[in-house]
Amino acid sequence: MNKNQSAADPKTMTHPQDTTQNSRAIKIETMQRERLSTRIEDEKIALEVDNLNLFYSAKQALKGINLQIPENKVTAFIGPSGCGKSTLLRCFNRMNDLIEDCRVDGQIRLGDKNIFDRDVDVALLRRRVGMVFQKPNPFPKSIYENVAYGLRLAGGPQKRRDLDETVEWALKGAALWDEVKDRLDDSALGLSGGQQQRLIIARAIAVHPEVILLDEPCSALDPISTLKVEELINELKRDYTIVMVTHNMQQAARVSDYTAFMYVGDLVEYGNTDKIFTSPSKKQTEDYITGRYG
Amino acid sequence: MQDARSVRAYMKSGQPYVWLTAGAIAASIIITVALLLLTMARGVAHFWPADLVLASYQAPHAQAQPVLAEFRSSEEVTSARLKNAGLPVDEAQDFYERILLKIGNRDLGGVDFRYVISDWLVDRSTPADAVVWERLEWGNLHGFLQSVQFDGRTIEGDEAWERYRQAQKRASALRHKIERIEKKEIGRINYQMEQLRLSERRLEIDGLSRADVPEPYLALDARRQELDQSYALLSEERARLYRALGRDSLIARTASGQEVSMPLSKLVTGYRPNDMNLLDKVLHWFGKLWEFVSEDPREANTEGGIFPAIFGTVMMVLLMSVFVTPFGILAALYLREYAKQGAVTRAIRIAVNNLAGVPSIVYGMFGLGFFVYFLGGNLDRLFYPEAGPAPVFGTPGILWSSLTLALLTLPVVIVATEEGLARIPRSVREASLALGATKAETLWRVVLPMASPAMMTGLILAIARAAGEVAPLMLVGVVKLAPSLALDGNAPFLHLDRKFMHLGFHIYDVGFQSPNVEAARPLVYATSFLLVLVIILLNMTAISIRNRLRERYRALEH
Amino acid sequence: MNNSGYQTHISSQFNAELEDVRQRVLTMGGLVEQQLLDGMRALIELDVGLARSVIRNDDKVDFLEVTIDEECSRILARRQPTASDLRLVYAVIKTITDLERIGDESHKIAQMAKRLAREEKLEKSLREINSLSRLVAQMVRDVLDAFARMDAGAALEVVRRDQGIDDEYEALVRQCITYMMEEPRTISRVMNLIWCIRALERIGDHAKNIGEYIIYFVKGKDVRHIPIDEVEREVLGRNPDQSAE
Repeated sequence: MNKNQSAADPKTMTHPQDTTQNSRAIKIETMQRERLSTRIEDEKIALEVDNLNLFYSAKQALKGINLQIPENKVTAFIGPSGCGKSTLLRCFNRMNDLIEDCRVDGQIRLGDKNIFDRDVDVALLRRRVGMVFQKPNPFPKSIYENVAYGLRLAGGPQKRRDLDETVEWALKGAALWDEVKDRLDDSALGLSGGQQQRLIIARAIAVHPEVILLDEPCSALDPISTLKVEELINELKRDYTIVMVTHNMQQAARVSDYTAFMYVGDLVEYGNTDKIFTSPSKKQTEDYITGRYG
Repeated sequence: MQDARSVRAYMKSGQPYVWLTAGAIAASIIITVALLLLTMARGVAHFWPADLVLASYQAPHAQAQPVLAEFRSSEEVTSARLKNAGLPVDEAQDFYERILLKIGNRDLGGVDFRYVISDWLVDRSTPADAVVWERLEWGNLHGFLQSVQFDGRTIEGDEAWERYRQAQKRASALRHKIERIEKKEIGRINYQMEQLRLSERRLEIDGLSRADVPEPYLALDARRQELDQSYALLSEERARLYRALGRDSLIARTASGQEVSMPLSKLVTGYRPNDMNLLDKVLHWFGKLWEFVSEDPREANTEGGIFPAIFGTVMMVLLMSVFVTPFGILAALYLREYAKQGAVTRAIRIAVNNLAGVPSIVYGMFGLGFFVYFLGGNLDRLFYPEAGPAPVFGTPGILWSSLTLALLTLPVVIVATEEGLARIPRSVREASLALGATKAETLWRVVLPMASPAMMTGLILAIARAAGEVAPLMLVGVVKLAPSLALDGNAPFLHLDRKFMHLGFHIYDVGFQSPNVEAARPLVYATSFLLVLVIILLNMTAISIRNRLRERYRALEH
Repeated sequence: MNNSGYQTHISSQFNAELEDVRQRVLTMGGLVEQQLLDGMRALIELDVGLARSVIRNDDKVDFLEVTIDEECSRILARRQPTASDLRLVYAVIKTITDLERIGDESHKIAQMAKRLAREEKLEKSLREINSLSRLVAQMVRDVLDAFARMDAGAALEVVRRDQGIDDEYEALVRQCITYMMEEPRTISRVMNLIWCIRALERIGDHAKNIGEYIIYFVKGKDVRHIPIDEVEREVLGRNPDQSAE
C-alpha cells in the first residue's frame, strides 16, 4: 500500500474537467493520512496517570494504572462492572476523597502538578476538572440557578449581568439554550431526563473547566436523548478534554477518540478507538467487545 | 374440611387484612370526629340563648315554688335513687325524668343550678318579657323588668325595656372606656413608674447616691412628676366616668316576686330569650362566641372569655419553635454530617431517642431546677439586682416554659431532621462538591434547603406535642390568671419574664378547681374544642409551609 | 434532494462520515471514469504516454478502494449502521469493488494500447471499438451520476442498457472473428483488440452491478440475477416506504 506516495503526488490524476472533485480528493487523502497517524504519542497530553494504585481498605481497586489522556479528545473507559473504570474517573477530581478508607498511591498529573499533592486545593481542582454523573442530578432550584451555582461559589462573577452572560453561554454550549431560554426561572426538575443531563453539562462548563469527566452520562436516558448528549460531547471536545466512563461499548465506539479497556483494576488495553474496535491487540479486549466475555 | 379450606383460602386472598386495616382507619376517624363533635356540641352550644321557662315546682306534700330557669339537660333516673336522695317519689313508677335547671340568681338563692323532677314541674310557660341579665358578679339574674331609673327619672311599663336597652348600651360603652383607662393607660403609667423605681434602685446599687450625683436622680424625679400629673388627670377622668356609669339602675322582679335593685354598672347585658327570633339568637350566639375568644375571664374563669389563654398558648408554642428549631437542626447537622459515625454517635442517638420517652413532668422539674432557679436566679443576680428581692427571671415565666418545652421536643426535631438529611441523595451532594463547593457551601446551599421539609415535619410534631403539654408548664410558668400578657404596648413590648395563661391549664383549672362546677362544665368543653382548634391551626400552618417547601424541593426520584 | 436521507442524523459526526464516504466514492468514480476515457484514447490514438499515465494512476484507484473500505469498516464498527445507513455502507463496499474492477479493466486496455502502439494500426475495428467505448463510458458516467443523486430510476436506465452493450459486444467479436479469418496474419493483433472489447463489456457489467447496488440502497431490494422486467416493476412500482424521495 503506497498511499503516501500517491497522496503526495495528487496532481498526476487531475483532469481539467474534474478539478473540483479531485481537489476535494486531495483534502480527503490528507485527512486520511492524519487520521491514520493519530497516536497518543503525537497528542498533547492533558492528564497523565502514573503508576496509580487505589485501595478500598484492604481491597485493591486499581492496580498500577499508567495512562495518558490527550487534550481536546474524548477518551472512553470501558469494561465490565466493577473493573474500576468509575473509580479511576473519580480519581481525576478526587471525588474518592469522600469515601472513607480509600487510599491512593501514585500520581495523576494535571499540567505538571500532581493532583494528590498536599498543597492542592481540592475545590479548585474540581473547578478545573468538572464532572457529570450517571443520573441527572440537578439541584432543586431554577434552571438559571443550577447553571449559576458553580459561579456563585467563591471566585465566580457575582454581578447579575456577568452571571446572565455566562449562564447563557453555558446553556448554549450545552445545546440547551433554545429549549429553555423562555423558562430559566422554572424548576430544573421539570425538564426531561435528556434536558436535565444537558443542564448538568451546562452547569459543569459554566465554571470553565479544562477537563470534563462524564460518569456513564447516558445510562439513565432514552436513545434519542443519548444521541443528543453524544452529539454534544462531540461538540464539546473542541474546547475541553473529555474523559468518560460508559458501560455501553457502542457508545464508546461512537463518541470516543481513544478507548481504554479495563478489567478488575487493570488497564488491559488503551489506544485509538478505531484500533480497539476493529482489531484489538489483546484477546481479553476482543472477547469483551465482541460479547464473548464471561 | 371444606370449610377449613375455604377459610384458609379467604385468609390467603388478603381480604381480611384489607378489612382489618380499613377498620383501624375507620375507628381512628370515628374517634377523632366524635371527639370534635362532642366538644363542639357540649361547648359551643352553651352559648346558644336558651328559652327561659316560667313554671311552678310542685313536689308532693310541699309548697309550690315558682321558678324561672333555663333547661340545661335531662336524664332518666331510677326512682330508687331518687328515694335514697330523700325525695318523696312514687316507687310504683320505675323511672323519673330529672332536669337540670339553671335558675341563676345566685345572690338570692345561693345556688344557680338545680335538679328538678320533670313530672312535678307544672304550669310551664315561656313569657316573652322574661329577662336574662348577665352580671359582672354573682352570675346571671333571671327575672322581669319592673322599672328603670333613667337619668333621674323612673320609667315603668312598656317603655322601660327600650329605655333599659339604651341605658345598658351607654353603660357598657362607659365601662369599656374605664377598662381601657385602667388597663392600658394607668397600666402604662404604673409600668413606667416601676421602671423609674428600678432605675433609681439601680443607681443606688451602683453606688451613685443622690447626694453625690444628683443629675440622674433629678431626671428621674422630673419624669416621675410628669407621670404623676398624667396619672392625676387619668384618675380624675376615671372618677368622672365612674360617676356617669353609676347614674342609671333598674329594679327587677324575680319569679318569686322578690324585687331586686341593680345598678347598670354591674350588668354586662340583658336579653329576652323568649322574645328572640332565630336571627336574633344566631347573632347573639356569635356575639357570645366572640366574647368567649376575645375577652378576659371573669368570676374565677367561669364567665367571660379565654383570650389570654389562647394568646399564651400560641405565644408559648411560637417561642418554643423559635428555640427548638435552630437547636435541633444544628444538633442533627453535626450528628449526621460532621461527626464521625461510630459508637459515640450511636450512643448519642440512642440517648436522644430516649429523651423523647422521658415523662414530661420530669422536664418540668428540670426546668424549674435548672432554668428557673439556676439560670434565672443567676440572671437576676447579674443583671437585675435593683429588682430584688422580687425575682425577674428567677421565677417561672413564659421564657422558661418555652425553653422547657423546647427541650422536651428537641429529640423529635433532631430525629426528623436527621432523617431528612439522610434522605438527600448522595448524587446531589456530589454534584455540588464536583462543582468546587466546599462541604460547608454544599450543606448551606443544597443540603439544608432540601432537608427543610423534614425539618418542618419535626417542627410540626414538636408543636403538636408542645401545645398539648400542661404538666411541666405548671412548674415553670403557667398561672390560673395572668394580670398582663407577655406582649403589650410597653417597651420592650416582649416581656419574657411574665407568667402566662394556657388553654390546657385553663381546662384543668376550670374543670377541677372551679367553685361552680355546673357553670364551668360547658366552658371546659368549649375550651377543649378551642385548644384542639388552636393546635390544628398551628399544625396546618406548619404543614402548608412544609408542603410548599416539599413542592419546591421535590425529591429527585426518577 | 435524494441526499437528504442520510444527512439528518442527530450525530453530525455520523453525517460527516457518511458524506465523507460518499464523496470518496464519487472521487473514485471520477478517477475511474477518467482512467477509462484515457485508456480508450491511448488505445485509439496509440498514445503510449497516456497509456503509461493510466497504468500509473491505477495505484490511486487501488488506494481509494482500500481507504474507502477502511472507512466503511470503521463506520460499521463504530456506528453500527442500520436500515438505509446499513444499505448505504453495504452498497458503497460493493460499489467500490466494481469501480476498482473498472479501473483494472482500464488498466488492461492501457496495456493493450501500449502493446498495439508497437504494431500496425487497425483503423476499421478501432472505429467500432471507439463507439462501444463511448457507450460504456456514458454508462459509467450515468451510473456515477445516479449514485451521486441516489436515483433509482437513472440506475435502472443504466441496468437496462447493459443488454445493448452485450449485443454490441457480440457483434464486434463476430466482426473480429471474420476479420481474423480473412487475414490470419493479424490474428495476434485482433486478439488483443478482442481483449479490449471484452474489457469494455466487463466494464458495462460492472456499471450494471453498481446500478443494481443503487437500486438496492434506494429500494431496499436486491435486484441481482432477476429478469429485467421484474427489476423495472420493483423500481417503478412506487412503494412509498422505500422511496428515497
